[in-house]
This record gives sequence, C-alpha cells and structure tokens, in this order.
Amino acid sequence: MKSWHRYAITMVGGIAVGLGAAWWFTGGGLTDGAIVNGPWTTSLGFGTKATDPITRAAVARAGLLALPAKETVYWSAKTDAAGAPLDGNCRYGLSGKPLDARWWSVTIYDEAGYLVANPANIWSVNGANVTLDGKGEWRVTIAPTTPADGAWLPGTKGQPFHLTLRMYNPGPGFRADPVKAVLPQIVQEGC
Amino acid sequence: MRNWLGPLALGLVLAAATAWAAIAYIPYGLMNVAIDRLGQGGVNTMSHGNLATPARQPVVRPSPDLAYSSCPYDLAAGPLAIDVTPVPGRYSSLSIFDAATDVIFVRNDVEAAGKPFRIILAREGQAVPAGAQIVRANHDRGIALIRLLLKDPAEIGKLDTVRRQSSCATVTKLK
Repeated sequence: MKSWHRYAITMVGGIAVGLGAAWWFTGGGLTDGAIVNGPWTTSLGFGTKATDPITRAAVARAGLLALPAKETVYWSAKTDAAGAPLDGNCRYGLSGKPLDARWWSVTIYDEAGYLVANPANIWSVNGANVTLDGKGEWRVTIAPTTPADGAWLPGTKGQPFHLTLRMYNPGPGFRADPVKAVLPQIVQEGC
Repeated sequence: MRNWLGPLALGLVLAAATAWAAIAYIPYGLMNVAIDRLGQGGVNTMSHGNLATPARQPVVRPSPDLAYSSCPYDLAAGPLAIDVTPVPGRYSSLSIFDAATDVIFVRNDVEAAGKPFRIILAREGQAVPAGAQIVRANHDRGIALIRLLLKDPAEIGKLDTVRRQSSCATVTKLK
C-alpha cells in the first residue's frame, strides 16, 4: 500500500468519525439535562447564551426555539416511575397535583419528538383542562384505547413514546429547588 | 505498522476538528431549516400559523396548546419593527432567536402589563428610530416567535382576530 493510500483512508475515516461523534454528542436531547426528578429530566440552561456548544446543538436538535428557564421549564420523560421505557402498547396512570407554574401541560410525542395521529386528536393535557378530585389531584390515563372512565391521552400501539412537561412561568418555590419539586407520577398499570 | 502512525495521527486530528466544526454548525443549520419552513409567508412578515397537528409540525416538539405566530427575519435591509398585541388574561410571549438559536429577548404578557408593545431589532451600528425599545442582534437572520396559550384548540376561532394584530416589518422611516 502506498503512503498516500494510508493518508486517504485515515482522512476519510477521521471525517466520518468526527461527524458521527458530533451527532452522537448532541443526541442527548432534552433528556440528558443536568437536573433529574424521578423519570423527568431537564436543564435550566436552555435558550441562554451561557449554554455550551454541545448543549446548544442538542437543544437545537431536540427543542429548537425553546424558551429560557425563567419563562418555561421543559421536562422530558422517556421512562415510567419504575424506570421502564414508555411503551405505546401499555396503560399508564399520569397523575399529580396542580404544578407550581402559571400554566403547565404534558404532551405526548414519538421518540423523535413529533406528534402522532390518533382518533381523538388529543396530544396533551394541561392545567386548564384537567379535573381535580377530592384530594386536589388530577389523573389522566395514557393508553392506546379509550379508558373506562376519566381523561384520556392516547398512546399508539407498537410505538414507544416520550412525554414533555412544560411549566410556563414557574413559581419562585419551584425555581429555588426544581430537584425536589413534586412532578406528575407516571405509573404503568398494565400492557 | 509504523507506516500508519502519521496517517492515524492525522485522522485523529481531523476527527476532532470535524466534530468540533459540526457541533458548532448544527444550530445554524437547523435554524436555517426552521427559517425556510416558517418563512413561507415571507421573511420580515408575521405568519400566523395553524395549530400543530401530526400533519403540520414545522419544528420538533411543537406544543398543540399554543398558537404560534412567527416572523423569520433578515436585518440585512435594515432594522425590524415587531409589534405585539397580547390577549387579555392569557399567557403569551414574544421571543427573539438569533441565527445561533440563542434567545436574545423574551417578554411575556405580564411583563408587558397586558398592553401592546413595539420592539426594534437591529444590528450593532444600524440607525434606529428615536424613543423605541431597541434589541441588538449579532446576526442578520433569526426568528421572532409569539406564543399564545389556548385552553382549548377550539378557542383559536375567537382569538385569531386579536393575534393577527401582531406584526413585523422592516423599518423604512426613522422618524
């Protein structure tokens, strides 16, 4: 093998490895944030100039045009409370108390972060449309078919899913300690 | 094997340089795609998009609870005037993103005291109208985005008239 062959091989390989590494390093999305709270993760550095280049690229890929934390905190969940990946074939109870924010919502996306068609045309629940029970808690069922009672957030059979929790204008108590904030529970109830 | 040391070292350097350059480029590339997708109504014009559905998702993770109005901008021809009219009692916000995807300005309806406001977006050194609130940008291009919260998607019918009062346009007169 001639010398320039070796150089050509390692140059092409080096560029390929570099591109792959760039894609891999920035693929963490909103999930590999610095703050973990149960199955939910976030980073409070989104959308600010202080963000490092890798976080900025990762946010651009996973949540382009995201607002900074003072305005909105974006939490992402890929697993249930037990740590199992969220599965569109299964039924989950999503429940909690009203969140410490001016307004909040939980939206269901596919793994790439896009809405998936469902017969009910419902992709989110929010503080304005959930009903509170006697204990002041709300509850929604995530399942591929309509639940017997209560609110429904449709999952899609055969597809894993992710949840994004948005908290608009989070309260000062939340911002002081987001790790200890009480966030919605995601409990699998059957498959 | 010794013949490979030089080529391998070069490959490693190239890999690191490529990764660094690609990571730096990703936000700019994705912002260009977003400007193209959101800019079909024209650059330096506010487009009042339909609500996000599986069939309409110009950017990743769109919120189905928000009505988005977007103004993809280019300051090459001069500063941009952005006029925002909040909807009473509703969360709404104006956010301005630059070509690197950084947020350079945010104001919500509470900060605006529920009143209409005007922002002039300009490059450093561009002449701007006197008396206006100025936001300086480090890049010519980007997106100004207005979010308006809906309690229910059906509300878009009655709120559409108000949200269409928000606009953006290149500043042509300085007085």
